[in-house]
Amino acid sequence: MALLSNEDREYLKGLFTGMKRNVNILLFTTEEKEFCTFCNDIKSILDELKSISDKIQIQEFSFENNKEEVAKYDVKRGPALVLMADKDLGVKFYGIPAGYEFSSLVEDIVDIGNDTISIDEGLIETVKAISKPVHIQVFVTHTCPYCPPAVRTAHKFAMANENIKADMIDSNTFFDYANKYGVQGVPRVVINEKHHFEGALPEEEYLRQILNSIL
Amino acid sequence: MLQLKMKKQEESVKSSIYDLVIIGGGPAGLTAGIYAGRARLKTLIIEEKIAGGQSATTEHLENYPGFKDGVGGIELAMMMEEQSKRFSAEFAYEKAISVKLKGDTKEIILSSREVKAKSIIIASGASPKKLKADGADKFHGKGISYCATCDGALFRDKKIVIVGAGNSAIEEGIFMQRFTKDITFVQDLPYLTAEKILQERIQNYSDTKFYLNTLVKSVNGNDRVESVTVTDRKANKEYQIPADGVFVYIGYNPITDFLDKQVKLSEQGYIITDENMKTNIDGVFAAGDVRVKDFRQVITAASDGATAAHSAEKYLENK
Repeated sequence: MALLSNEDREYLKGLFTGMKRNVNILLFTTEEKEFCTFCNDIKSILDELKSISDKIQIQEFSFENNKEEVAKYDVKRGPALVLMADKDLGVKFYGIPAGYEFSSLVEDIVDIGNDTISIDEGLIETVKAISKPVHIQVFVTHTCPYCPPAVRTAHKFAMANENIKADMIDSNTFFDYANKYGVQGVPRVVINEKHHFEGALPEEEYLRQILNSIL
Repeated sequence: MLQLKMKKQEESVKSSIYDLVIIGGGPAGLTAGIYAGRARLKTLIIEEKIAGGQSATTEHLENYPGFKDGVGGIELAMMMEEQSKRFSAEFAYEKAISVKLKGDTKEIILSSREVKAKSIIIASGASPKKLKADGADKFHGKGISYCATCDGALFRDKKIVIVGAGNSAIEEGIFMQRFTKDITFVQDLPYLTAEKILQERIQNYSDTKFYLNTLVKSVNGNDRVESVTVTDRKANKEYQIPADGVFVYIGYNPITDFLDKQVKLSEQGYIITDENMKTNIDGVFAAGDVRVKDFRQVITAASDGATAAHSAEKYLENK
């Protein structure tokens, strides 16, 4: 069954028109069934997107069997999506990008396809100047309307600077992992394992949190 | 069923004067947008977060007419949004920072730009009242939540306390039963204030506990919430309720700070209007939860929105 209405397909067709470069999406499935309950749904979403734009390329790997790719793209668990141009941009989704997070996926695709980084002009140089490694994990649920901005800001920062890696983590799928980080409200943003904040902060404040965490 | 939700961005908007700018994209603002569009008013709807406002974080609406099996809060909001776009309403997903309401041309300062309008509908809604108790600030987002739809799944098989017993509190309690059986309600009044049908439904779950006539004194714990201390006002007794999470539904505060008191407000801070949604300033109308009224529902907000758009149209015709 088609997941998207005709109207939404048309909207996306318009949105993806004129994308300059290929968007490569790598899907890592896992043999651990409890995590992969939505793997077929993820595949359906990706297939639909691919059918809308020929600039969207999908490759499927197994977290257990494709060790080389798992190491190369630093995939920590499955299911995972790596969104990249020709080179890795440090943009990942762990779990299914459905519910409100579908917006994050679509907007990431548009940014990558158009080769644009939609960060406020006054901030982008500061983001690019970060020279230490930054790992941002954004814990979300699919039913949280406030979560996509937190995911998108992290992903945009990653696109702007190769020292920054940013993951969306679906707290439903990775319940124990979220619990390990004491996630009790979403979005929760964890920077380099130790520093964290709650809520979707504006870009400037988000960036300040990152800068403070790597002092 | 798998749901894919998209925030659809509009083409960048031209900066001419709008006939009508609607601040707030909840049911009141979206309905006003539908009516204004059909009246052929050049209309802009400003929404800070997502279309639907509070109703978008309501899992399921059972009392909105026309949907006999109920409708998801976000589904209804998205349909209203599409419907208003169909009649040419434009959208700006930005925060309204301040307004200048006096005079024939009104100005609205957004985070990225300024827009002008001949008339304005304020439909900015209300935000949840924060819990006032020791530990409430400390545990905000760390065990205390104001959105069960957002955070509920994080409390699988945990002990939760819901503060309040109005419609929102009971509905979210019913929603939370998907995740956990251990639910305790704490209500300051001696009775539940939710619709009777909701009361019946929650009381059918024998596991659910109620503390009535009871106030939350403190939320306790080291790194995480461990318990809630409550005071029974009648018995003058204190109880310790073990809890991992606290969900708060104790009413709302109107969102009017960006108005800088230019519009007449009630003592509680709600906008005072007449029955045609007119405020004390010419060309400025208010609709939905932000205005003084007794009954705040999706349908009463939608009704306000229709009336406000009609009043704005009349105002523009007679100018």
